[in-house]
Amino acid sequence: MFAYAVRRILISIPILLIVLTIVFILVRVAPGDPARAILGDYASQEAVDALRKRMGLDKPLWEQYLEFLWGLARGDLGRSLISGVPVAKQVAYALPYTLELTFTGILIGVILGVPLGVYTALKRNRLPDYLGRTLSLAGLSFPSFYLGILLMLLFAVKLRLFPTMGGGTPGDPVDRLRHLFLPALTLGLIMTAYITRMSRSAMLNVLNEDYVRTARAKGLHEAGVVFRHALKNALIPIISVVGVYSVVLIGGSIMVEIVFSRPGLGKLMVGAMMQRDYIALQSIMVIYAGFVIVLNLLTDLSYGLVDPRVRYR
Amino acid sequence: MRRFAVLALIVCLGTFGAFGAGKFLRIAFDAADLKTLDPHLAAATMDRAVVDMVFNGLVRYKPGDISAPFEPDLATSWEVSEDGLTWTFHLRPGVYFHPFEGYPDGYELTSEDVVYSLQKAADPGRSAYAGEYTGMTFVAVDKYTVQVKLEKPLPPSLMLPKFADYAGGFIVSKKAVEALGDEGFRTHPVGTGPFMFKEYSPLEKVVLVANPRYFRGKPKLDGVIVYYMPSLSAREAALETGQVDIIEGPPEQPWVEKMRAKPGVVVDTFGPGECAVLHFNMSKPPFDKLLIREAVAYALDREELLYTVGPDIADPLCSPVPPLLPGGLTCDEVGPLRYDVDRAKAKELLAKAGYPDGFSIEVVISERAEYLIPMQNIQAQLAEIGIDVKLKVVDHSSMHTLIRQDVNPMVLYVAWRPNADVFLTRFYHSYSIVVTGKKPDTNFSHLGGVDADGDGVIETIDPLIEAARTELDSERQVALWKEACEDILTLVAAYPLYIKKFVYARNPKVDYGYELKSTLALYPQINELTDIAG
Amino acid sequence: MRPRKTRRIWKGGENTPDSSITPRQRILRTFLKNRTAVIGAVIAVCVAGVAIFSPLIAPYSPVRQNVRYRFQPPQGAHIFGTDFYGRDVFSRVIYGARISLLVGTSSVLLGMVLGTAMGMVAAYRGGRLETLIMRAVDVMMSFPDEVLGIMIMVALGSGLFNLILAIAILMAPRFARLAYGPTLALRERDYVDAARAVGCSDIRVLFRHILPNIFGEVLVMSTLWTATAIRLEANLSFLGLGVSPPTPTWGNMIRTGLDHLTDAWWVSVFPGAAILVTVLAFNMLGDGLRDIADPKLRT
Repeated sequence: MFAYAVRRILISIPILLIVLTIVFILVRVAPGDPARAILGDYASQEAVDALRKRMGLDKPLWEQYLEFLWGLARGDLGRSLISGVPVAKQVAYALPYTLELTFTGILIGVILGVPLGVYTALKRNRLPDYLGRTLSLAGLSFPSFYLGILLMLLFAVKLRLFPTMGGGTPGDPVDRLRHLFLPALTLGLIMTAYITRMSRSAMLNVLNEDYVRTARAKGLHEAGVVFRHALKNALIPIISVVGVYSVVLIGGSIMVEIVFSRPGLGKLMVGAMMQRDYIALQSIMVIYAGFVIVLNLLTDLSYGLVDPRVRYR
Repeated sequence: MRRFAVLALIVCLGTFGAFGAGKFLRIAFDAADLKTLDPHLAAATMDRAVVDMVFNGLVRYKPGDISAPFEPDLATSWEVSEDGLTWTFHLRPGVYFHPFEGYPDGYELTSEDVVYSLQKAADPGRSAYAGEYTGMTFVAVDKYTVQVKLEKPLPPSLMLPKFADYAGGFIVSKKAVEALGDEGFRTHPVGTGPFMFKEYSPLEKVVLVANPRYFRGKPKLDGVIVYYMPSLSAREAALETGQVDIIEGPPEQPWVEKMRAKPGVVVDTFGPGECAVLHFNMSKPPFDKLLIREAVAYALDREELLYTVGPDIADPLCSPVPPLLPGGLTCDEVGPLRYDVDRAKAKELLAKAGYPDGFSIEVVISERAEYLIPMQNIQAQLAEIGIDVKLKVVDHSSMHTLIRQDVNPMVLYVAWRPNADVFLTRFYHSYSIVVTGKKPDTNFSHLGGVDADGDGVIETIDPLIEAARTELDSERQVALWKEACEDILTLVAAYPLYIKKFVYARNPKVDYGYELKSTLALYPQINELTDIAG
Repeated sequence: MRPRKTRRIWKGGENTPDSSITPRQRILRTFLKNRTAVIGAVIAVCVAGVAIFSPLIAPYSPVRQNVRYRFQPPQGAHIFGTDFYGRDVFSRVIYGARISLLVGTSSVLLGMVLGTAMGMVAAYRGGRLETLIMRAVDVMMSFPDEVLGIMIMVALGSGLFNLILAIAILMAPRFARLAYGPTLALRERDYVDAARAVGCSDIRVLFRHILPNIFGEVLVMSTLWTATAIRLEANLSFLGLGVSPPTPTWGNMIRTGLDHLTDAWWVSVFPGAAILVTVLAFNMLGDGLRDIADPKLRT
């Protein structure tokens, strides 16, 4: 399994390299000038050109590209063009916020979604099933930012139960949780919709299988059938769905960070984009891509944990 | 293990206690992060604010009032030679720089630092304001005396702003810049001001602490915490819950009204503000025709625009140089050149120019609200006479790059410049014409490079600007500037729209320590007199 | 290895051996029996109608400003209230349907053409081309949609055409993956071999013999992905990367309303509801169609 993980990571490297190249080019195709962004409109063209030079933006593109790759190879994400702060430091600050948001989102999704999925599958074509299906379809039709706005209007503006915005004071866990609740709920509800649907259909597939019928025929009581036989086998597709939709969730987290004005990777990215901070932008993109690659790997590896029949070669 | 936990708790409480006990003023800006705290590069509001608290100039604008005479700052007195070519500044003795690595007690400011700082400000590679200091040499005569030598004499109204507490005039510590490097200095400023830089947490805050050796006396506050909070609602909530004391507001009327209605919140609006001016590109159709520019001028309704931006935060602007500055004109003085709205006349002029059904133009515009909101209103207003303005929304720095490449038929520009000379030179002198000028800058109208009214002669106001620049008699100088303004309006090279004040909201307990009318620092200046009651 | 899922192939109504009606009628009947699909279709058609006839439905101009009437709450004359510029929110929501549907459908169409072609060619030709195309697809799919969408829009700049292009670029890899598997399976079929043996050109084989077999599934998924595309359009517009003002889109309406959420909720809430309804309609339609197309998955 370890060898498999290593090989998967090695295979990811060419993909990552292509990603890096694309990001590097995309970022620089965009118009805009970080030197102008720093100096403001008052600065003369002369001063802007001088700063561009000092920032190394006048160097040929291939040279900047090699510098970028060389830096990454040494684990150096570079310094923000705008503030001069090491990007690694900015990311280190923002990442925990994004991680806690996405993980809580996934957690809420799993905790609510799997039981709901199993339940609706068991009540197939009855009222709870219709209700669950309609709600989950509505849930996955919700743009995350809109759900966030509605939750904010209700819980923060009208009921004043939670803060509207921000990430909470670092070092104050209670405050952090209060700030985390609404954004995580937003992502969690959307995740719940996805997971409910998939758990339901995975369960239905399994419930039709022969061995389940056999188990029932043997006279096992229903709970035993559901949990010992059916759910266990439905787990693989469910895990793969959690993996796949976690990527969707990461995308959604950007929007939610913007709506709730939470610090985080998404907000960092949009900020870097607005200021044309090439270095920060490309590094953040690399981190996102890495995120997704690791997530896919984890998903694959988890198959083995729930099903010993899966072999990694 | 347990002992460790107890220890950690004590440390935690200790740090909180330390923050809680001090009287820290907390101010939140509309920014995700700082850009640069090097005073000679800082341009954005949140950066200028920190710079203003950390540094001093040789002279200073009176806190809260930029139209008052200059006051001594690091220099206690100054004089100019008979020929007007040598200015001598006498430094205040006993002023100490903030401590930094290697200098735990700081060190005394001398002429060496001042010369170094001014030379840095004049170096285009290390300063955004180098253009202000071309042709000047700086000499340290003795420990407390600095001389500035000029090629041509300058009147005090143009000379002193360059050495005041604004932009290039801020005096940095030579030893600190050399020790930290220009790069390091960007996030660790060392100056002589009332507050000293303590720490910076990216994307979050900068902490400043009181400078106990400040030459005007120890500040009443123990420090200032500058927060970066780009979300308006987050800033609002932080102010209402008492997490911060002052917040930067959006210059928008509904917000001002809403905040004013709240108990425990005071809204400050102050000048000088930023002048919003619409520049017409007279070098290519359709705005190469005077008739069309006049039509647009008559089509625009300043009142409506003012209402869009907000009557409480914007005043009408009718002259290329704002009336607040010597050389500017009030709307009454401008008279018929205000082009008061008259859409029937506008349509008539359009028809006369050969466009009875209007025309269509594409305009690049910044995504920032201060540009996008008025531009959308202008778009809607011009649609009334059949002019179809297609907007291409880009990020802010892209707009600044693109308009300097002369892509726009008309340019909305929102900015403040320290005096009439800078306003006129950079926007209307032929040298400043975008792309083709001798020193391409922000002359978007091409005034001075094209025949603006179709009489076969190139109109220019260059002689007026240059004459005023070296005119030592201030009355004649002002008259020249006013004449230049009238010429610009007659040719409709630009149509001034409004001047927009800055908006901040604060806890009423905050006492700035001076009367806030206008400041070039772009934020309600916090200085040694600022205090929080209770 | 990742457990391999067998690819589903369009089997139009195999299980209803009633010879008295044509296959087309059979599909229609199955469709009408599927309530989800019918409701989805009805709503989608309504939204399309609103988009086409918006000048007739909207009581006011969507762009004409009247700043003195800004932020009027929903009441008589303005049932959805007015926005910052005093524009009628209801009229803007009505007109907003145009951009949403236009971008949603045309980007999926473009992505479908590009992606399906890519996937089919990759599977059919194999070799280096296959590796190249499918690697590229992997790379594209390794980003969350929002991340890649933002990047592409930043590089291209805002505007209607760029928006469509950007979303099409996001959609293409999905279609490529969708078309790849079945093509791979079909390539080995006898009749494809036979077609090749009688000298059919590659293009002919792809178009005449392979495409018809996978088209059903592509069509079903494009309905579902139209929902995704509409949501993406809203996301990008919400970030300010969409169509230029004053053209109303649901996403940019929400964006401008966000700063005034506490005092003028209607500016954001109504366009959001419009997005929700439209996306939901396409999801229902797609879901229903998928059930019909693949009765085994019928749930």
